[in-house]
Amino acid sequence: MEEPDWHSPATIEEAVALKARLGDTATFLAGGTFTAILVANGLIRPHAFIHLARVPGLDRIEIGDDLRLGAMVTHRRVEGSSEIRQSSWASVANCFAQVASPRIRNQATVGGVLCDADYASDPPTLLVALGARVRLRSPSGEREVMLSDFIQGHYETALGADELLVDLVVPRPPRHVTYVKFRSRSSEDRPCVGVAVAAEVDGARRCQSLRVVVGAVSGRPQEFPRACAIALGDRITIEVATEIGHQYSELASTLSDMRGSAAYRKRLIAVLVRRSLETLAA
Amino acid sequence: MTLDPRITGRFEYGQDQQVEGMLHARILRSPHAHAKVLSINTSEVPQHVVTLTRDDVADLEPLYGPMVKDQPIVARDRVLHVGDAVAAVAAGTPREAEEAIALIEVEYEEMPAVFDPVDATGDAAPLLHDGIEIPAELRPDGRNMCHRFRLQSGLGQDGFERADVVVEDTFAVAAAAHVAMEPHATLAYWEAGRLHVITGTQTPFNVRRDLAALFRLSEEMIRIVVAPMGGSFGAKTFMRLEPVAAALARKARRPVRAVLTRAEEFITINRHPARFHIRLGATRDGTFVAKSVDAWWNTGAYADCGPSVCTKGGYAAIGPYRIPNVNVDSRCVYTHLPPAGAFRGYAATQGVWASERMTDLMADRLGIDPLTLRLRNLLRNGDSFATGEVMHDARFADCLRKAAEAVDWGGGRKNKGLAVMLKGMQTPSRTGVALEINAGGHIVLRSATTDMGQRPETAQRNLAAEALGLSPDLVTVGSNDTDLVPFDTRTTSSRSTFMMSNAIREAANDLRRKIAQRFEVAPEDLVLSDEGAGVAGSPDLRRPLTDLTGLRGDGTFVTPGGLDPDTGQGIASSHWHQAAASAEVSVDPETGVTSITRLHTAVYAGSVVDRPGAELQNEGSTIFGIGTARFEGIVFEDGQVTNGNLSDYEIPSILDVPDFTYDLLEGGEHSHGLGEMAVPVVPAAIGNAVAAAGHPVRNLPITAESVLDASLVR
Amino acid sequence: MKIPVRVNEQPVELESRTDETLLTALRRAGFRSVRLTCGIGVCGACTVLIDGAPISSCLVLTPAAVGAGITTTEGLQDGDRIASAFQELSAFQCGYCTPGFVLTTRALLLEHPDPTDDEISHALAGNLCRCGSYLKIKQAVRRVAESMRH
Repeated sequence: MEEPDWHSPATIEEAVALKARLGDTATFLAGGTFTAILVANGLIRPHAFIHLARVPGLDRIEIGDDLRLGAMVTHRRVEGSSEIRQSSWASVANCFAQVASPRIRNQATVGGVLCDADYASDPPTLLVALGARVRLRSPSGEREVMLSDFIQGHYETALGADELLVDLVVPRPPRHVTYVKFRSRSSEDRPCVGVAVAAEVDGARRCQSLRVVVGAVSGRPQEFPRACAIALGDRITIEVATEIGHQYSELASTLSDMRGSAAYRKRLIAVLVRRSLETLAA
Repeated sequence: MTLDPRITGRFEYGQDQQVEGMLHARILRSPHAHAKVLSINTSEVPQHVVTLTRDDVADLEPLYGPMVKDQPIVARDRVLHVGDAVAAVAAGTPREAEEAIALIEVEYEEMPAVFDPVDATGDAAPLLHDGIEIPAELRPDGRNMCHRFRLQSGLGQDGFERADVVVEDTFAVAAAAHVAMEPHATLAYWEAGRLHVITGTQTPFNVRRDLAALFRLSEEMIRIVVAPMGGSFGAKTFMRLEPVAAALARKARRPVRAVLTRAEEFITINRHPARFHIRLGATRDGTFVAKSVDAWWNTGAYADCGPSVCTKGGYAAIGPYRIPNVNVDSRCVYTHLPPAGAFRGYAATQGVWASERMTDLMADRLGIDPLTLRLRNLLRNGDSFATGEVMHDARFADCLRKAAEAVDWGGGRKNKGLAVMLKGMQTPSRTGVALEINAGGHIVLRSATTDMGQRPETAQRNLAAEALGLSPDLVTVGSNDTDLVPFDTRTTSSRSTFMMSNAIREAANDLRRKIAQRFEVAPEDLVLSDEGAGVAGSPDLRRPLTDLTGLRGDGTFVTPGGLDPDTGQGIASSHWHQAAASAEVSVDPETGVTSITRLHTAVYAGSVVDRPGAELQNEGSTIFGIGTARFEGIVFEDGQVTNGNLSDYEIPSILDVPDFTYDLLEGGEHSHGLGEMAVPVVPAAIGNAVAAAGHPVRNLPITAESVLDASLVR
Repeated sequence: MKIPVRVNEQPVELESRTDETLLTALRRAGFRSVRLTCGIGVCGACTVLIDGAPISSCLVLTPAAVGAGITTTEGLQDGDRIASAFQELSAFQCGYCTPGFVLTTRALLLEHPDPTDDEISHALAGNLCRCGSYLKIKQAVRRVAESMRH
């Protein structure tokens, strides 16, 4: 088979125009960690790569009212950014720091992890809890999509055939944010369950807002606002934490894989959600 | 200091071997667990790519195998497991070869398959092999069985009448993958009618013998050159890629190199999954009276060395205990899974798991401390093992005590577990070594011991140097080439240092005799040193070693033995490997996640001839045991491997390994093997610790989920 | 395609298809310290440093590495502290994973010259060693760190 064409566009416009022209036969290449595996194993056979490394403006980290991470920002840069770590978005740096190994983090990008939509992933779980959204550029313009809508299922996103994810926008988080990566096997394992909690707690320790997202248990991160509602307006107690954990366990759909069975994940969700909320209560 | 090429990365493994003009092989494999091969069409494959199908090997012996000849080079009329070789190609580049196999069309007729060994022995089970020859020493006794090992000592099952308490339970151990970092790699070429094979193998003489039989040649027409391996752990034993590489090379009339992909490693050869039903009977004071072991070994589609695994695992499950009445019934059964074979720990891993978990169950039932119970029953010098052999140099109790001390067993046994074992060493076996003086006055050691990471050359040089009274710098290890080295059974079973140390001593004595002859003196009057050879009391008669070029000493060491196939009595092992382990764990009762807070192994090492090497082997096998205990199990679904990659199948990383400790018990003149000893006892100790924490698990691996499921608290 | 890079500070033109990995291209160019084990970036046997950062070369499509400064262990100098420590402490068995560990250690010590045990373990956790040389590898890294303190 002939080798794929290699394009290195110099601008975003050039990149999206190329993609629009080549359509499904071309694949964007960001960090390339996932793409390389797909290609090496013959799972995809694109006719062209559109490498984004030369495109300026995709690798910015901006902190203002929002945190903006360009699509080509590596996990390692997020992890190591003292700016982010000293900001309200420190949890984002902590989350990206937990992904895979330093080697992967040196290469994998913000845009890549979101567009891959691999379920056994850490950042999407936390980012959904923070209400993040993605900016998508196409030849016809730009649109923003909530990350929770963007990731649709196993390796499925709302990315259009002619669209490029240019950056991630994370609104200012509430005061208390945690992400727990639960591994059932090796310390090097991917998450079996990921639990993100984002809560606003006032001076009297009453919970004013609460989002709990569970990830890595099915095709997309899951959230059940009605279950969280019982925590609002009051201090989070062990009973409330347990009840929310129980609700999440009942409501979440879970899958079986090498990290655990669907039933095991259900049990874990109850425990891990409760524990995350207990931490919050403390 | 010149850097070791293993550190600079300039070291070459099997996969790096190259010969000019070589082609690259790829194998077309069956997607079905059991199917008839109706037709194979290679017409779409480009002309310049060499293809190999059953027609190309019709003039050869049809089947090979180290114990039972049941495996074809490529499928004849049927495929027997997912991944079974159907055809092969050799092309100019790996990519071309990969593309070529996709162009081969095979018509299959799927047939019912069986994956469980008990099911496979049922009357209705599809038969895997029909009309194959079972060697006389094997005793299969049922449908799809290739061997049945039976042992009875004392009253056998009737001995249970003497027990006050009988405990019985079932234990299972999953299949596992070796995960050598370097895949299987073999290069073959024919030259003037001789077959040359450069291959990563632990068993050069087995390969030579079996290739000779397969290609209907005398053994002298086959030359095996052993390439160092990037790990093996039992995977690179007996014939693997050698037959297909040799057959392709024969057809292509060019050298052919075959290297497996990681996915292929999972369907080529694995560790036997096994199931045990154990009954143990004891008197109320904790004296073992009777034990019965009922074992089922799933050897997959081809026997490989399954019969031997089935035998060794059968008696390993008895344990290092004094038990007057023993019955073992251990069956090796064919199923449509990928084949299982030699694997670090060699059947002891499975047998010891079952045996030591049972020991603790008995301790629980009797209300006796598990350490006390074991010490009461451990074999001592002069005791007979169930095979009838009398124990000598028994250090089981010492090993166990050291292990127990290391976790402060006396201070309380909460969340702690122990295990102790005996493991056999390949018996009978033979090792030959030669020591030659070369033109440079160096001693060249010729040995067929293979390097799979244990770097035997250090021990070899130290042993030869010591035996001759020279410095190790004067000893070089020659090429591992069957044209140059004396016969050695194989580098398995942690036998090599023990066997070599004896053979090297013989060879050194022989060389001294020959040097002495030159001087026309008796060997005891010969003085050998780095400066040369001389006669005691006559310094002016000394001659440098360069004057003695060509002199060669040969030494052979043989360990006789073997077990009677009908009674299981005899010599199972010329010398027993002995080890114990202790573990302390911390279990999260809500998630089942278990961390190992303390881990210790105590292994009888005997005379240590390469200390760093000894440490590395023990540390390495401990870490291997952690993987066996916590993560490792191949998951099959309808005969397919569902976790055949290193993300789904995990081996321990540095963070998974606690700061463990160990004792190498030294003493005596013999060097005992260390390569495998921790592997069986570590998982058993961890399992016992997890059980002591309230989660009596019965199967390996001990997954977090299985810990939760085994919880005594609901 | 010919992709110009620098390997161990020497210019090298890698021959590669666009859909081949840097691992394949480097091995083709004779750098056989870089090895394939898992092919999915989890084992570290294919580790190279790209502009000083550890990367799984099996996850890089070669053209993406154009112009990169790549380090492999073929470039190790005889007196290299890390290599010497590995040698003195026998921190290897079959050696297949060793180049990956050496390079990862180099990157670690450049970033954290005085790492804690925890930092060492976390930095090396992505390099697998099936032979199980981890204890001695950690000792070797500690020894290098100590020697750098004086």
